[in-house]
Amino acid sequence: MSLQLSEKHFTSAQPESAARRIVTFRVGDRTFGIDVGMVREIKGWQATTPLPHAAPHVRGVLNLRGVILAVYDLRTAIGLGSTEATATHVIVVVDVEDKTAGLLVDSVSDIVDVPVSAVRPAPDLERDEHGLIEGLVLLDTEIVALLDLAAVIRDGGDNQDKQLRVA
Amino acid sequence: MDPLAELKQTFFQECEELLGALEQKLQALDEGSTDSEDVNAAFRAIHSIKGGAGAFGCTELVGFAHVFEAALDHLRSGRVALEDAPFTLFLRCSDAVADLVSAARSDELAPVRPDLLAALEQVGQAKPVAAPAAPAPAAPPAAPKADAPPGIAALGNLLAMVDAKMGGPAPGASAAANDGWDDDEPVAAATPARRPGHDVRIKITPEADLFRRVIEPRVAIGILPADEVVSVACDLSHVPALETLDVTDCHMRFTVMLRTELSADEIVSKFDFTLANEEFEVEVLAEVEAVAEVAPAAAPEVPQNVAADLSAILARLGPTSDAAPQPDIQPVAAPAAASAAAAPAAAAAPAAPRAPVRPAANDVAARQRQAVSVRVDLDRIDRLMNLVGEIVITQSMLVECVRSLPYDVYAKTAEGILTLSRQTRELQDHVMAVRAQPVKAVFQRMPRLVRELAQTLGKEVKLVLEGENTEVDKTIIEELADPLTHMIRNSMDHGVETPEERIAAGKHPEGTIRLIAEHRAGRIVISVTDDGRGIGRDRLLAKAKSRGLVGADEKLAPEEIDQLIFAAGLSTADAVSDISGRGVGMDVVRRNVESLGGRISVDSEPGRGCKFTLALPLTLAVLEGMVIRCGDDRYVIPIASVIETQHLANTPIEHLTFGQEVLRWRGEITPLHRLGAVMGSAGTRDENIIIIAETERGGNVGIAVDEIVGQQQVVVKSLESNYGTVNGASAATILGDGLVALILDVDSMLRVAASSVRQPVPELKLAG
Repeated sequence: MSLQLSEKHFTSAQPESAARRIVTFRVGDRTFGIDVGMVREIKGWQATTPLPHAAPHVRGVLNLRGVILAVYDLRTAIGLGSTEATATHVIVVVDVEDKTAGLLVDSVSDIVDVPVSAVRPAPDLERDEHGLIEGLVLLDTEIVALLDLAAVIRDGGDNQDKQLRVA
Repeated sequence: MDPLAELKQTFFQECEELLGALEQKLQALDEGSTDSEDVNAAFRAIHSIKGGAGAFGCTELVGFAHVFEAALDHLRSGRVALEDAPFTLFLRCSDAVADLVSAARSDELAPVRPDLLAALEQVGQAKPVAAPAAPAPAAPPAAPKADAPPGIAALGNLLAMVDAKMGGPAPGASAAANDGWDDDEPVAAATPARRPGHDVRIKITPEADLFRRVIEPRVAIGILPADEVVSVACDLSHVPALETLDVTDCHMRFTVMLRTELSADEIVSKFDFTLANEEFEVEVLAEVEAVAEVAPAAAPEVPQNVAADLSAILARLGPTSDAAPQPDIQPVAAPAAASAAAAPAAAAAPAAPRAPVRPAANDVAARQRQAVSVRVDLDRIDRLMNLVGEIVITQSMLVECVRSLPYDVYAKTAEGILTLSRQTRELQDHVMAVRAQPVKAVFQRMPRLVRELAQTLGKEVKLVLEGENTEVDKTIIEELADPLTHMIRNSMDHGVETPEERIAAGKHPEGTIRLIAEHRAGRIVISVTDDGRGIGRDRLLAKAKSRGLVGADEKLAPEEIDQLIFAAGLSTADAVSDISGRGVGMDVVRRNVESLGGRISVDSEPGRGCKFTLALPLTLAVLEGMVIRCGDDRYVIPIASVIETQHLANTPIEHLTFGQEVLRWRGEITPLHRLGAVMGSAGTRDENIIIIAETERGGNVGIAVDEIVGQQQVVVKSLESNYGTVNGASAATILGDGLVALILDVDSMLRVAASSVRQPVPELKLAG
């Protein structure tokens, strides 16, 4: 505990007022968040075209006004199985590195401002989420897991390449 | 972008064209052309490059171009006979200029070529013929600052000159104005006043955008017969204060006095091509009999503040010693163009015999024709193309919507939709045509490659280009350079023999490589043919066997052996050379070409030569595709890959081990793959159709699918840009209902199939 405190002391070099604006969304009973700046738009579920030999959480590709982008099932990525997508499901369109991608989630809940100092480093989470969580934020009633989007997406493209090479 | 950077960009673009022209003309001369226009064109090209380079302070480039220009001028002037001219040297110099240009473009340190410079300076000195009056061309590298070339620099230099004149002929100032290419023009207009004719006053008030129209006062005024110009005065009173001065604007006004026999109309027509009607005014003052004197400085209409040394300015503004009007942006280079030290008076010697100058009108008219084209940023065309792609998709969505309308509404709408479809298609064709470029852009890099390789390898090779104007989409142009370079290197290194070997084989010591482009069946076909020794089949086969690519006792047909040249890791060159021979060349070429939906093949005749043929689609932006269905998923297979389709039920299928199926097609055993299984299609599959497709290696394969949905032109969309590579597919497209369909890549699909059977089919066996 003392170690954690001192760590916090060192990392909160930024002024206390610095805040991150986070979009939160739900998958099952879990709440996840990403910086609002990464979100390009939020749209309802739309059928995707599956990609052969892709990683399980790659749902497929869809056409967003003439641009083709891949949709990733966050539920699969965190090891909770595949989403039975319906009209109420939501695709969060995000910009990650230089790519545009869709994130399939159950619903978008809120936009919250979180002081930078309130972001805790991710503890050693269960295996499936390992590496996907960048940090944790404690809100009044729930814990928001901040996603490392690049990690979610990187696993997609690479995996299928590796799979084939191994095969 | 700030205006200067933009101008600089334009300059470099022009440089590329000029370099192309330079090389082409030199090549023509090297091959025995005696057309003096070729000499002139080469000279003009290097001169224009020098001009622009001076404007942007590319010191090394100016210095080199200057010496080069001086050397070429000896040809122009006839001091060095064409048949004695060292064109090989000139061609290497044009390569060096290209290097300097690209160095200047990327702001890198330019490679200095003292060897070439020295050689250039020798030109014309070894054989002193004719022109005794001309001083020996010392050709010192010009002081770039003082060099006042044409082009954008002209304004600044012109102003400097006028300034120098106004401030009196300070020695330093006039030395600074001695600029190496026209200072030795004799001071003009010594005699015109004694000529018969009438006095004409021409007031030129150019619009501010004069320079941006790439017109210079020197050019405009230079169109007038030089020996009839009495004086030129420049009025600088309209130049704004320094703070508001835009150097790309022209603020100068000119008053030209002419003693001529030309009528006012004839004079007006001379300005037609350079100045707008409202930019000049021709006024006939008086008929003069023979000896009236007009003191230049006393011209009453010249503003007080520009009592310039008129004739000297004229000497800079335009040609004077030459009787013929100078049509181009170039000044007339006097015999001793390079001699910066030559005093004007000393150089008043009669011009040495020189190449005839084209009539002005032709040249200007030619330039007018070129002016009809515009430069467009490729980005803009890309955006336009994307948008047209969207329209095509929207339009096909619309077609599907309309189908579901009640009949009476449908009938009314259908006609409009039909027209829309046609217009969309036409629009797409036109945008594609805008993007099309002649393959020349790539071809013109090859002569240099051949020259350099020939030198390195000690071979004599003539490169013949044909069909350079064949147009293809720019997406393909960009991809052509690498394969072509490899193919030519291969021919140079492995194909063409050394001169000794060729003589021993009874061939001409100089080998020939023909690079030919043509359109054939909706594709561009480029072939590289050499007359060398052909593929050494024995060695190739031995090598392939030692690498385990071919079984030790396997028998291959000669053509099959030739195809081994495309196998990875094979090189038959005895010594690994810099040029090729690391065995990475041709297999890389093949893979790249195939990834573009193209095909490469080789035909070889031992002892006679070898021919590589490259076939590529005309564009990568759209393709004609067959839409097929497997289970719930739809795919597009490029029509180019499809040979024929047939019903599965009518086809006898045999089962081999590991679930591999084969069918008999046109008497050949052809592997059969079920697309749904290979691509993991969702839903229940019920294969009815077999598509016989061609693989890039020339083999065939059967692909079983559920249904053929239709055939349509599809817009190719990248999967890589937002995702990554998808095995089995080259790209994706958006179908009429807005859903994405993968565009199949037959070869990539076969690799997926092979890996999923866990029994990779050896590539070479497939090829056979």
